[in-house]
Amino acid sequence: MAFVSAAPRSTVELRLSPAVVFLLLAVALALAMLGSLTLGYRLYGLDQVWMAFFAHDGSETATVIAGLRLPRALIAPLAGAGLGMAGAVVQTLSRNRIASPDTLGLNGGAALAVVVASIVFGVQSLTGLSLAAALGALVTSLVVFGIAAGAGGLSPLKIVLVGVTFASLTHAIVEVILTSNEAQLQQLLFWLSGAFVDRPISHFFTGLPVVAVGAGLALVLARPLDALQADDSTARGLGVPLGLVRAAAFLAVALLTGAAVAMAGPVAFVGLVVPHAARRLVGLRHALLLPASGLAGALYATLADIAARFVIYPVEAPVGAITAVVGAAVLLILLRKRAA
Amino acid sequence: MSVAVPALPRHRPLTRWTALGVVGALFALLTLAAIGFGSTWIPLEAVANVLLGGGERTERLVVLNLRMPRVAAAAIAGGAIAFAGYLLQRITRNELASPGVLGVVDGAAFGVVLFMAVFSNEANALTVPVAWQPLAAAIGALVAITVVFVLSGRQASSAIRLLLFGIAVAAVCKALTTIFMLVGPIYQASQAARWLAGAVNAINWGEIQIMALCLVPTLLFAGALARNLPPADLDDVSAQGIGLNVPVYRILVFTAAALLTAIAVSFVGGVGFIGLIAPHLARLLVGRARLAGILMAMLLGAMMLMGADLIVRVAFTPLEVPAGTVTAIVGAPYFLFLLMRKDQANG
Amino acid sequence: MDEPSRIDIAELTLAYGSEVVLDALNLPVPAGRITVLAGPNGCGKSTLLRAMRRLHAPRSGYVMLDGRDIAGMGGKDLGRQIGLLAQSPSAPPDMTVEELVRLGRYPHQAMLQPWSPGDAEAVERAMAGTGVRELRRRRIGSLSGGQLQRAWIAMVLAQETGTICLDEPVNHLDMAHQIDCLELVTRLNREEGRTIVLVLHDLNLAARYADQLVFVHRGRVVERGTPARLMRADLIAQVFDVEAEIITDPVHGRPLCIPLGRSRPAETEAVPQPA
Repeated sequence: MAFVSAAPRSTVELRLSPAVVFLLLAVALALAMLGSLTLGYRLYGLDQVWMAFFAHDGSETATVIAGLRLPRALIAPLAGAGLGMAGAVVQTLSRNRIASPDTLGLNGGAALAVVVASIVFGVQSLTGLSLAAALGALVTSLVVFGIAAGAGGLSPLKIVLVGVTFASLTHAIVEVILTSNEAQLQQLLFWLSGAFVDRPISHFFTGLPVVAVGAGLALVLARPLDALQADDSTARGLGVPLGLVRAAAFLAVALLTGAAVAMAGPVAFVGLVVPHAARRLVGLRHALLLPASGLAGALYATLADIAARFVIYPVEAPVGAITAVVGAAVLLILLRKRAA
Repeated sequence: MSVAVPALPRHRPLTRWTALGVVGALFALLTLAAIGFGSTWIPLEAVANVLLGGGERTERLVVLNLRMPRVAAAAIAGGAIAFAGYLLQRITRNELASPGVLGVVDGAAFGVVLFMAVFSNEANALTVPVAWQPLAAAIGALVAITVVFVLSGRQASSAIRLLLFGIAVAAVCKALTTIFMLVGPIYQASQAARWLAGAVNAINWGEIQIMALCLVPTLLFAGALARNLPPADLDDVSAQGIGLNVPVYRILVFTAAALLTAIAVSFVGGVGFIGLIAPHLARLLVGRARLAGILMAMLLGAMMLMGADLIVRVAFTPLEVPAGTVTAIVGAPYFLFLLMRKDQANG
Repeated sequence: MDEPSRIDIAELTLAYGSEVVLDALNLPVPAGRITVLAGPNGCGKSTLLRAMRRLHAPRSGYVMLDGRDIAGMGGKDLGRQIGLLAQSPSAPPDMTVEELVRLGRYPHQAMLQPWSPGDAEAVERAMAGTGVRELRRRRIGSLSGGQLQRAWIAMVLAQETGTICLDEPVNHLDMAHQIDCLELVTRLNREEGRTIVLVLHDLNLAARYADQLVFVHRGRVVERGTPARLMRADLIAQVFDVEAEIITDPVHGRPLCIPLGRSRPAETEAVPQPA
């Protein structure tokens, strides 16, 4: 299966060593998280942040920082990391650089599962919703990849069309279910485009183990995923057990996507954009690409979350709207480059 | 990129027009049924009576003020968007094209939401006549499709690539729409949300009149263009060879499709999938003949939206589920089926 | 480098659904030699090569590697014994040459085992052996056809297998690179003693490089032996449906086939089968 892309123009690249890249990403992430605590509708100073954590005096400032800002400062990077890594795995699995949990409909499937679980089955626990979301993502990925495989191998572009259509289908079903809850429509509208705001900190603690398991599984698969970037015959010639690796990778993607969607709703295009940036920074080896995608995803989500506070100040914009605009712009750039 | 078209049986003219006749009759029946159905069932003869000028006073009220507007709006919008889909599928030579996927619907939606947000006062009422709404939709639709085409540049000849550009532009429009819905008053948000999903229920005769008025010249424009639609499997070079100015023509066709979509969407909301399915079914029924194909597509499109609205009234009462949602639930699997089937046909 | 392996194919039958592609095929592949599979389109030569590397499960019959049935071997184990350069392999164009060659070490690495100096050395040797060391940081999408093919061969070399299978490795290359590639393969055989199995389309190239030439037709081995033995007008007419004149290449002393025309009218052409 040939890759649909023009030859890259750059030949030799001066690349920073991976260690430096990771250090820079980590520092940037730490700064961004600090920014998430201090910036917003009201600006707080670092001293106030310190006080809120170590000398809580019950003041409004401390409550806002510890109760409102902290959850989103933690959830955003966690969800971003999950989506970033899921995106990297999805792009390798499908050998398709415009694939991602959203363009393949996985986010939509996870969101539908959450809505069904909470409204139809009355699931309240966060763990339950996380697992429901993971199940939704898994089922969707099986269906989409099943369609792709069954039709004798759809082209990468067609698979994305399938995924996007699936996403609109799940969105429509969600709408039907939600229309019966009109009072919450505004709130749900917000959630449906992805938001880190107004989340209890328990979301973070429930999501963390799921993301950790998913990330761990993906990292274990790093070498087979490397080989999977080549065609099937070559990968099998190397001794890669394709079926097993793909199944495990699907599971990893489902866990990562499910956790992210359960925490924050379907945040658009994070899984599309982040792996591209990560690849430019550390190359194609998954042992490096996966952690880099995780860090870059965390950074991107946190920055988007900060931006969401200011774009239509004083109203809070859904972070998904921002990532959608950025992501769509990146998608357009990616599509255009192929023409050259 | 030319797409292999699976062999279709040649439709003799008599078969075509017979099919049209049958579908036309079904359309008439469906219209009567759609008007008749509701919280009180009005028998078909009574409906016909009212339409012909007679009938009881309460019946007249219900039929003329409640039911007919909905049904008429559905028919007009469904037909218009079906025509738009037909044009797009013919000009891109790909049956996967539709207004919904090329970003036209989302662009129109953004135009309307922007219009609502900008031209509303604190009392959530429009400060300019609602007649301008289709114009806002049209501008949004045209801008969106222009952006799609400008950005895709040379790649526009690949239908699939084009669709992906459309999806990206649509995503931006959707995000911006969401933001503007939040910037605006809350009341409008829920109204806008329902409208976005494709709702026929809140329409009134005034809005329908506007739709119809805009539609007439647009139909003429589109019809004139349709006369020059080259045979489906003629590539650009050959088409140019027989005298067609392909780039200009293409722009005109896209404009027509965008205008039709804008009209359909401006009062009724997101019903993009009809623009995908109706032309396709029309082609199955009457083959590649143009006039028959367009008429059939419009009839089918009208019927689909009327049908969807009917389903909503039947199955979901008293919930006001938007008709567009129903079309999406039916349309999306169909689109998927198309994607798979095409590949099998191409081997 | 271990001893070169010897492959024995016994009564191998392989089918896609109801279509039999390989029909009770028998073929010994001598160790340390270059075996070339040749035959008309759809004869099954590519399928045979892929079956040797267990990319297809046979309906019946065996492929034996040094007396062991490959069907029972572990994936990585087999990957350390037989390497395969697939027909039209692909990888992301932005992958660097070094990243590609590193893939070849997969069969040698246990699950969580870190990259070892042994791995690094193997990669260096493979790149040096194919002359792509200076290209190591280049993206494979920016390479010429000949360079790309060498990079792929380097990947297979990094696997350090006793046997290397190459499925039509020179089809898309120009003349100079065809010779380059086949000379490289020959060198691997002569200098390192690896067993080579090649599928080649060009009969003259096959005759020039093969130690054992094998004619495959309709899923069976029609004949095998030295090129001198197989390059006969009557046999070529039977297998390739071509009337030919056979001369001896004055430079290399190998048989050279000069096609004259079809040996029978086109209507009686054999029904094409998948290769």
